[in-house]
Amino acid sequence: MIWRVVRRRLAVAVPVLAATSAGMFALGAASPVDPAEQYAGAAAFTTSPEVLAQIRANWGVDDPLPVQYARWAGNLLRGDLGWSTSRHEPVADVIAARAGWTLLLIGVTLAVVLAVSLLAGTLAAYRRGGLLDRGLRAGAYAVESMPVFWLALAAIAVFALGLGWFPAGGLTTVTATGVSAGDVAHHLVLPVTVLAISQAPWFLLFVRDSVAQSLRDDHVLAARARGLPGRVVLFGHALRTALLPFLTLIGTHLPELVGGSVLVETVFSLPGLGAVSVQAALGSDFPLLAAITLITTAVVLAANLATDLAYTAADPRVRIDG
Amino acid sequence: MADLTVLRRPRPAATTAAILLTATILVVLTAPWLCPLDQSAVALDRVAVPPSLPHPGGTDDLGRDVLHRAVYGLRVSLLVGVVAALAATVLGGLVGGIAGLLGGVTDRILMRLVDTLAALPHLLLGIFIVAMLRPGLGAVIVSIGLTHWLSTARIVRSELLTLRTRPFIDAAICGGATRTRVLTRHLLPHVLPKIALATTLMIPHAVWHETSLSFLGLGLPPHLASIGNMINDGQRSLLTGAWWASLVPGLLIVAVTLAIAVLAARWRDHLDPRVRAELDL
Amino acid sequence: MTALRIEGLGVRFRLHGAAVQALSDINLQVRRGELLAVVGESGCGKSVLAHALLGLLPRNAQVTGHAYLGEDLDLLHCGEQRLAREVRGRRLGLIPQSPATALNPVRTGRRLLAETLRAHGRDPGLAAEVAADAGLDDADLDRYPFQLSGGMAQRLTTALALATDPPLLIADEPTTGLDRPLVDHTLDLLRRRCDAGGTVLLITHDLAAAQRVADTVAVMYASRIAEHRPARDVFGAPAHPYTAALLDALPNWAFTPIPGHPPMLTALPPGCAFAPRCPRRTDACGVQPGGPVACHHPLVAAA
Repeated sequence: MIWRVVRRRLAVAVPVLAATSAGMFALGAASPVDPAEQYAGAAAFTTSPEVLAQIRANWGVDDPLPVQYARWAGNLLRGDLGWSTSRHEPVADVIAARAGWTLLLIGVTLAVVLAVSLLAGTLAAYRRGGLLDRGLRAGAYAVESMPVFWLALAAIAVFALGLGWFPAGGLTTVTATGVSAGDVAHHLVLPVTVLAISQAPWFLLFVRDSVAQSLRDDHVLAARARGLPGRVVLFGHALRTALLPFLTLIGTHLPELVGGSVLVETVFSLPGLGAVSVQAALGSDFPLLAAITLITTAVVLAANLATDLAYTAADPRVRIDG
Repeated sequence: MADLTVLRRPRPAATTAAILLTATILVVLTAPWLCPLDQSAVALDRVAVPPSLPHPGGTDDLGRDVLHRAVYGLRVSLLVGVVAALAATVLGGLVGGIAGLLGGVTDRILMRLVDTLAALPHLLLGIFIVAMLRPGLGAVIVSIGLTHWLSTARIVRSELLTLRTRPFIDAAICGGATRTRVLTRHLLPHVLPKIALATTLMIPHAVWHETSLSFLGLGLPPHLASIGNMINDGQRSLLTGAWWASLVPGLLIVAVTLAIAVLAARWRDHLDPRVRAELDL
Repeated sequence: MTALRIEGLGVRFRLHGAAVQALSDINLQVRRGELLAVVGESGCGKSVLAHALLGLLPRNAQVTGHAYLGEDLDLLHCGEQRLAREVRGRRLGLIPQSPATALNPVRTGRRLLAETLRAHGRDPGLAAEVAADAGLDDADLDRYPFQLSGGMAQRLTTALALATDPPLLIADEPTTGLDRPLVDHTLDLLRRRCDAGGTVLLITHDLAAAQRVADTVAVMYASRIAEHRPARDVFGAPAHPYTAALLDALPNWAFTPIPGHPPMLTALPPGCAFAPRCPRRTDACGVQPGGPVACHHPLVAAA
């Protein structure tokens, strides 16, 4: 059963990655930006046309597009991600140095969002129409319409500049000699909170609505009629069945979270992939930007696979019948 | 219990949203006559003035009136949002329409494409598109259009597939109606309200996307007042204590997108009253 | 000894300005050891009665009247906490309607039974024994609900309700989807509980089932009790024209359907709700009649 899920996901993932890379390559080729001039940077104005032509020839920029694409894709598959024209170092090095921080930010945020929205959403559904429910829903609708970077600036203004509780940006104190876990955690409080708040409404409203629905399900009413304790009915029966659709939806919401992390990293000057992709975009750095987009897509697809597997484990109807 | 009349409760949120949105649209449309000052004029004698009567939104680090610029920024952001949402709707409508009308293999391939794109992080893709086209107004609209058409495509397709199985379509075909006639007279009137709703719901997302790109410096040119650019500028002022420079444009965009979202939700309840009624029990 | 005394129970649902009158002025008494069958067509409010007594109605329900369990406890006014801690499962059990949806889809029968037994301070190991009482094999307890046939699911919900051994048991359509031998098995199970001193409120649209086991029968029509009398009187000499018409509609009686349709619960007529379909109606029927036979012109004089 597990293998069937993996096979089905792979059957989607491979074409997705192929199509995405081809699409991006086509867009890159149609771009008015000349990679050779890009490579030469400011020197392009003084570099002789002969040298530029030499660079073009070395890179095969003037070969037919399918040939170029095949060469690029082949290199990617062999692990050669290319040369970053905006940072002047191998793309693989740029990503290796920064991917961990982005993963940390997204991972911690996701954990916080899930824990908070499951608990608060379930309680709001249990006392629907109550103060907590109405407050959370109003708050969620309001936060949903706030741009995350604006929220981040507000957080910096209040908690970093105003109250001075947390640093306004970066990952370590400027004077620090090394990376200590406590220091990093202190620096991550604001970014994680802001990203979590901006992503929570969607999860919270979903949990609230599906638990509210599930509380009127026949089997939950039957569990109450049997005299089971309220806690068991709420978490063991109502939430347990409401969670099944939630699991698959976590996967579909991940791209949103990645987008949010790009913005939050930029505001808080975190050394993750978000800030570097903005820098790459400003410098029209195709190899770096394409690699980041592809790798992120692959990670999102892998996460989708993980939620699928979790769903399979959680629902006997899928596990046994397939 | 089919004859239950669904009486509507008054909705203060929707009324407030409608008033706010109407006022905003009026102000934004008449901005050149209402406050015809040059919105990029620099006045170094009144730099970073906090909100006060002559400058309700304060002034920024170049002495420009924040509220004044924000109104112009909103003009740009809403314009981009609406145009991009329409572009996305046309693209999504075409893909969804083809998939829903032709069905079969075409449908399967197109919907696989839609699912594919849904798995991509929109903002990163949007950044990529803008970077390859060089930042600017056109690039932003293309970037939004190419990343936001998926929901419309799905809606149009599923509406068409449901409609195809409804008896009145069979009746029209049996009655000798041509394909075009069935499409324009019978299918479109049913699908159009849903498309219009999807477009409206998309406008806030398009505005956020534009604002995000501009904020990152990848959207509209920096001298142009756009909400994203202003918040980005405000980030600099924040360190000097001028919090209003990014607060005011942000509040404006929050209020407008919230109003659009509230009205669109109200409209959706109207098209499909079942959804909320069940949850509010 | 009265096990349950319902006085003037009424339930309305508000639905966006409209109101559904699901139960109106219900008066019923059940003695200990009695099996009362509440019969009526679907949509007459029978199941709402079960949920009202257990406090499981949705929030838009307005409940009026009283329902005394035993001597003192008013089920309708004692509050959710007392219901949850003292009543549900302990003093008042429920075999829910539609077993297909009444079972948690992600739990096996054994886990559900063990959980219920444990919650009531009984040995979870008794699961197999309780299941066997309801006619369920031990092996079937390890299946998930979606792997059970309709009949097996029905027996599992019965076993779950019996696991707490409540003195008063409400059985809401406990025989739907069962074939005849299993119907009889379940009915006999309920009968035996009453003979052993328990009390059962059987809600059913199956008149034959009611006839087989009930001591008393309450016939419901359009949110009201039309007739509440001993079972042999109801089946031998029905007093309310509706009861007579209902019996006549049965295949082994006259097999003649009742003309017309029952009224919408959103628009109940002021007097007797059956009057528009009744051959015996007069002007007097514009006023709601009361008593054990709610009719101004009964077919037999009420005892």
